[in-house]
Order: sequence, then structure tokens, then C-alpha cells
Amino acid sequence: MAAINASGTSEVEPGMRGLWLGVLVYRWATFVWMAAVALALAIRQDLRRPGLALAAVLVILAWNVWFSLTAGWERTLDRRIDLGLALALLPLSGLVMNEEAIRNTLFFATSFPATAALTFGAGSGVAGGLFAGAALSLGLVASRAANGLPPDELTDDDWGVLFNGVFYYLSAGGAAGVVRRVLVRSAGERSLAVEEATRQREKAARLAEREALGREIHDSVLQALALVRKRGKELTGPSVSAEEIHELVELAGRQEQALRVLLNEPHAEPPEGMVSLRTTLEAAAFGVQGVPVSVTTVGPAWLFSTEVKEVQGAVRQALENVAEHANATRATVFAEALDGELVISIRDDGGGFDYDESRLSRDGKLGLLKSMKGRIEALGGSMRVHSAPGRGTEVEFRVPVRRGSDDG
Amino acid sequence: MVDEGSASELGAELIRVLVVDDHPVWRDGIRADLEASGVAVVVGEGSDGGEAIELAHEHMPDVVLMDLRLPTVSGVDAIRQISEDMPHVRILVLSATGEEQDVLEAVKVGAAGYILKSETRADIVDAVRRVHRGEPVFTSGLAGLVLSEFRRVAGKESAGEPRLSARENEILRLVAKGYTYREIAEKLFISHKTVQNHVQNILRKLQLRKRYELMRYAIRKGLDRVAE
Repeated sequence: MAAINASGTSEVEPGMRGLWLGVLVYRWATFVWMAAVALALAIRQDLRRPGLALAAVLVILAWNVWFSLTAGWERTLDRRIDLGLALALLPLSGLVMNEEAIRNTLFFATSFPATAALTFGAGSGVAGGLFAGAALSLGLVASRAANGLPPDELTDDDWGVLFNGVFYYLSAGGAAGVVRRVLVRSAGERSLAVEEATRQREKAARLAEREALGREIHDSVLQALALVRKRGKELTGPSVSAEEIHELVELAGRQEQALRVLLNEPHAEPPEGMVSLRTTLEAAAFGVQGVPVSVTTVGPAWLFSTEVKEVQGAVRQALENVAEHANATRATVFAEALDGELVISIRDDGGGFDYDESRLSRDGKLGLLKSMKGRIEALGGSMRVHSAPGRGTEVEFRVPVRRGSDDG
Repeated sequence: MVDEGSASELGAELIRVLVVDDHPVWRDGIRADLEASGVAVVVGEGSDGGEAIELAHEHMPDVVLMDLRLPTVSGVDAIRQISEDMPHVRILVLSATGEEQDVLEAVKVGAAGYILKSETRADIVDAVRRVHRGEPVFTSGLAGLVLSEFRRVAGKESAGEPRLSARENEILRLVAKGYTYREIAEKLFISHKTVQNHVQNILRKLQLRKRYELMRYAIRKGLDRVAE
């Protein structure tokens, strides 16, 4: 609620101002009505104590002027004083009026005291409004007693009039409270909506900024890096140290790739606790020396964060194996989610070999393959190797997709 | 500069190329590479999409070699316009950042291939030659995108919409895994030409899909208007 109040005050203002203005108009209209009724009763000589009636009207007039000019409704103390005055006015009416008049003619205070219930409701909510209404109802009953009519002497008609008044006071207080509650709540909702819209705008601005940044990088760094990489490969000759150039090429290539990864961030946000498969594979391919690696994935696919380490490790080992032994010109990591499995393949166009697990084992060359296989099998997956001399090598990992990924 | 063999390929005519890139340094480099190869001649250089369309009309090149991120008219829009006006002109996208979504869009509206700027001179010259021969030039990344695209369609059933055959799927997957057409031919015991035909069909289906997309969009718009 604190947050809503902090940012929502200005949102509450227009509706609340309308409510207070309405209550104020009611206050003055009923006051004028009360004064008019008092005057009419005085002329018809139906008042027992005209002096007291005049004093009461003057006091209420003074209070109303003060209350209106200083926006007394905003202060709890003033609202209480207001209720106190209204309460006092009710039994006072009983004192002012004739016994006959109180039954048959217009009541002196009539509707003015309801202003206090309205003010209370608008200022402190439904409960406050009902409380003020109930207090005024008691005052109304007391007015009869003050007039010399104890409750047991009241006729059914008298009770009807009283209940009418009670209902009137309670509903005035309650209704004002309800209006207040609606205003505050909708202001809260409005400020939440405004906050959400602001967040969306900020997000769009960030994306636009990122895109602008991407374009900028495209225009300067990437162009230059790609050019260095391309030209560097062609410059290798007797006059330049081949190693030096090679280093330059590698550096440029790595920079370019790193920026590419940065720019091609996954479009979709991964679900809670999961990581983009593509990002994982890009990370595994990053910085592999000696062979250019490209990473390709089909659609969005996710890995549990707990699986990332093993998958990344296995792919990295496969790629390092390619770089060291395959004599390949390029390597490709390809992955897709297929029939409840993530299929990850690492393919190179190098020399290839006769894949025979038992012979490799005999020759003591199975170590690395075993380590990769172990990592994938720890995730409940499997590894397969397709290779033949002169045909390159394809290592394929299959990892079961656990719940959380809906990609079929 | 290393001279790459004969001045012309078996006495064949030089491939007439239009180069479009907003960076003069790239245009110069590409021109030098193509002309040194003895395979192609650069007939025009443009620096934005609008120029690309104008120059294509003016020179009627065999191949347009263009970047996608261009000022004024975007690369994709220029490709759409050129392939509509001159369907015989082959367009090869040469791009630096791997802005894959744009590349997919470019291929849908008529580009015949895609190659990264970081490839070697020999690779770029070879790509121009292949595109000119009518061979679609794919990267593994583009193949992955095309696979995603068709898989996305498979999810939403729609009658008549072109889909990939099992064979086409298999071939596209191999391209995505980095196999060359020749390697695919060997692996599947089919001819190199057959592989090319399959890839060509995949491209055609992709372009057809784009047309379906536009048609569906038009129909929806039309229905909306009726509903109003």
C-alpha cells in the first residue's frame, strides 16, 4: 500500500476532490434548509426556545465557514468535532421544538447531521461512516427524550419516523465510505497499470538501445575484424612470419565470434532454472584453437542449469579432439530437440578413422571418448560415433528432455 | 595478390556482378577479389537498397552480391523488388553479423544464397560461381533456421501449405551439420545434382510459404474489413 500511496496520490486526487466537493455542497444545502425550517417554525411560533435555535444556527454557520475555508474534512480532529456538533444538534432539536411540532411538522435539524456521517465515511472509510451513522441514530432517539417523549411513550408512527432517520444516517455514512474505497482501489489499479506501462516502455527502450548498439558494432568493429580475418589468411607469405599472422587471424576470429554471440542472444527467455541450449553450445565452442567452429540450433531448446556443466564439458572435449587430431578445416555443432531428446552432433570434415571401440580400447586411445561418454551417460543419455577414413567424424550425444521443455 | 589460375574459366563469359554494400572498403575488396579470380567482373557498385534496385535495372547483372543492413531501402526490400522485377538475376547475401532472421527473410523473398563476410576470398568467389550456376548456397546456420521455420509450420496444421519431405528434411539436417553437397551425395548414395535439386526445392517451398503467409494475411485483413 505504501508504494501505491507514494506514487498514486496524484491519481487519487481528481476522484477524491469530486467526492469532497459533493459532501461540501450537501453540507451547505442542508444547512440552508435547516436555517429555513428554523425560520418557518419561528414565524409559526412553533419553537419553544427561539434563542437557543438561533444560537445553534449561528454556531453551525460559523463552524461550516471555518470547516469549508480550511478544508477541515482533511483533519481527523475536525471530523470528530463535526460529528460532535451534529450529535449535539439532535437532542438540541428536541429542546427547541414544541411537543406537538416534533411529531407533526418538519424537524429542526432534519438532514444536516447526515453531513457528519458523509464526511466521516469519505474521510475514514466504510467503518468510520457506519460508526458516525450509528452515533447520529442514537442522537436522534435522544432528541425525543430531550423533548419529553421517553421511548415507551412513542407510537408506531414515531418509531417509523425514527427508523427512517436511522436508516438515512447509516446509509449516508456507509455509502460515502464505499465511494472512498472504490476511488482508492481504482487509483491503486491505475497506478499499477501506469507502472506496468512504464516498465514496458523501459524494456522497449532498452531493446532499441541494444539494437542501435548492435548496428554500431556491426558498422565498425565487426567489419574491421572480419576484414582482418579474411585479409590475414591471404597475407601469409615468406616475408611475414606465418605464426604472427596466424595469431592475428585467430585473435580477430575470436573477437568476431564473441561479438556475434553477444548480438545473437536468444530471443526467448528460458524458463525458470533453465539455460538456452544454444548459449551453452556457444560457450563450449568459444576459444577452441585450430579449427573454426560454427554452432547451429533448431528452434528454442533448454537445458536444466544442473545439466549445463556436463553437456558443455562433453561438447568441449569433442571439439578439442577435432582440433588436435582430426586435421579438419571446419567443425559444426548442431543441436535440436527431437522426440523427447536433445540431439547434439559435433561434426568435422577431417580425416576420420575406423571407429572400433574394442580396438581403440586395446590401443589405449579410448580415454577421451570414455570421458565424454561418461558425462553424457550421467545425464541418462547416450553417445554414438560415426566415422570412416576420409569421411570426417560425427559424434552424436542424445540427452533425454526432462519436464520443463515443451519443445517436441 | 595471388593470381588464381586462368584469366577466364574454360573461355566462358565472365559472371557480371553487382556489388551492394554501404562500406566502400568492402566494395573495393570484393571487386579486387572477384576480378583477380578471373571468374567475374563487377559491373556496378551500390551503397544502399535504392541504388541496388536502380543499378540492377540498369546493368542486368548475373549476380547481385549484397549486404542486408543498408541505409534507405533495406536489403530485404531491395531483394524482394529485384527478384520480382528480374527473376533471372541471382542474389547472394554477403553479411557480416549473421543476422540470421534477416537472412531467412531475404531467402524467403528471393535470395539464392547466403555467405558470411569472414569467409575466405576463394570461398566467396566460389559462392558467386555456384549461385550463378543455379546452385543454392547455404550455411549450416541458415539450414538450422529453415528447419526451425518448417518445424514451426508443422505445429500449426494448415491445408495446402508446403512441407518438407522426409528426404528434404534429412538433407537439410546434414547441411545444418556442416556437410557439403558432395559429402551428402556420398553419404546418401545419390548424385551431387540430386542433392542440389533437393536444396532447390527446399528453397522454393520456403518462398512458397512466404506467399501463403502473405495470402493468409491478406485474407485476414479482408475478413476484418468485412466484419467492421
